[in-house]
Amino acid sequence: MISLAPGILNEIQRHAENAYPEEGAGVLIGKEQGGNRVVDRVLPLTNNFEVELRNRRYMITPQDMINAEEFADEMGLEIIGIYHSHPDHPAQPSDFDHEQALPWYSYIITSVNQKTAAESRSWRLTEERIFVEEKLLLE
Amino acid sequence: MTHIRIPTPLRPYTAGLREIEVDGKTVRDILQEVTSKYPSIQPHLYDDEGNLRAYVNIFINEEDIRNLSGHETPVEENDKLMIVPSIAGGSDESEILPFVDHAALRANQVSIIAFLLIAFVADLPLISSIIASIMLLGTLTKKPGFLPIYRALRWIGIVKPDRLRDYSEPHQFAQGFGAVVLFLAAGTFFFELPIVGWTLVGVVIFLAGLNLLLGFCVGCAVYYWFNRLGLPFFQRAAPIDRTPGSRPTREKAI
Repeated sequence: MISLAPGILNEIQRHAENAYPEEGAGVLIGKEQGGNRVVDRVLPLTNNFEVELRNRRYMITPQDMINAEEFADEMGLEIIGIYHSHPDHPAQPSDFDHEQALPWYSYIITSVNQKTAAESRSWRLTEERIFVEEKLLLE
Repeated sequence: MTHIRIPTPLRPYTAGLREIEVDGKTVRDILQEVTSKYPSIQPHLYDDEGNLRAYVNIFINEEDIRNLSGHETPVEENDKLMIVPSIAGGSDESEILPFVDHAALRANQVSIIAFLLIAFVADLPLISSIIASIMLLGTLTKKPGFLPIYRALRWIGIVKPDRLRDYSEPHQFAQGFGAVVLFLAAGTFFFELPIVGWTLVGVVIFLAGLNLLLGFCVGCAVYYWFNRLGLPFFQRAAPIDRTPGSRPTREKAI
């Protein structure tokens, strides 16, 4: 289960809309306690994939991840996942998402239909590398 | 002792530690030490062939070891090592692209070029207006306008289908665009500006020829460009495995 602090979902969805028709991505910062995750902050990052393919792909550079880790450290929190948008595609992981995914992280995917954020869903890889949806709660 | 920082997804394999201390003179030594201390992290760092996984980056004092000497990069006592995940993803629709019969598209292009040349040679602007109407009708019914000719050629056995993974909408748009240019030409003929009219006809012949001979569909490229701008009705985004407007390669056909 992953819960989002007030305003977080709004921030994720506005980023998705502003990035449209490209994919927008960032990190989820918060804490995990006893299997429950709470996202307290999000850090929007730059999509560094090749320009022509950014409507179908996103990439966060290792340098941005290092900075994000330091940012999380300063607040006594940690990176618990990644969020990104799927312009005009459903809020579920694609084959490419699956290929690239790391274990443990929560992946929140937001579908954007013609500039308007439609739905956000959270997914996690199991030990067998299968994506399963995790319950997303709003605080 | 060298400190090595573990990203959150790998902490379950290092007893929850965000930083571990290990000895070693090179990056290779250090990583070997890490995997011998915490064996369950091994499959997450290396693939079956023993190469670092694509999503694993090793940084030493914020510099990627790929830009240094890789695994042989020397490590000093106070160096700070970090395992940094590569993060990527994105929606992917290449696997669900429908089939488009490119032989039918080429038969359409050949027909358009041939009839337009006849119109020019015979100086019969009316023919180009008829072709424009056929093309427009094709776009409205979501088919190549000269599909009956293609069917006849197939029935005779001269052509074979060439089904490639592609979208049909950009091709319909390209055909409609050609029809609009030909209607504009008809307008100029009406106002007795035949040079402008035949030039516009020439543009359509050129674009159809470009597609036929070089496999580049300018109308499709414009369509994908409109999609990128987020215009309504241009719902299809360019397939990720090719330049927008270029013909899918045969290897991509399934």
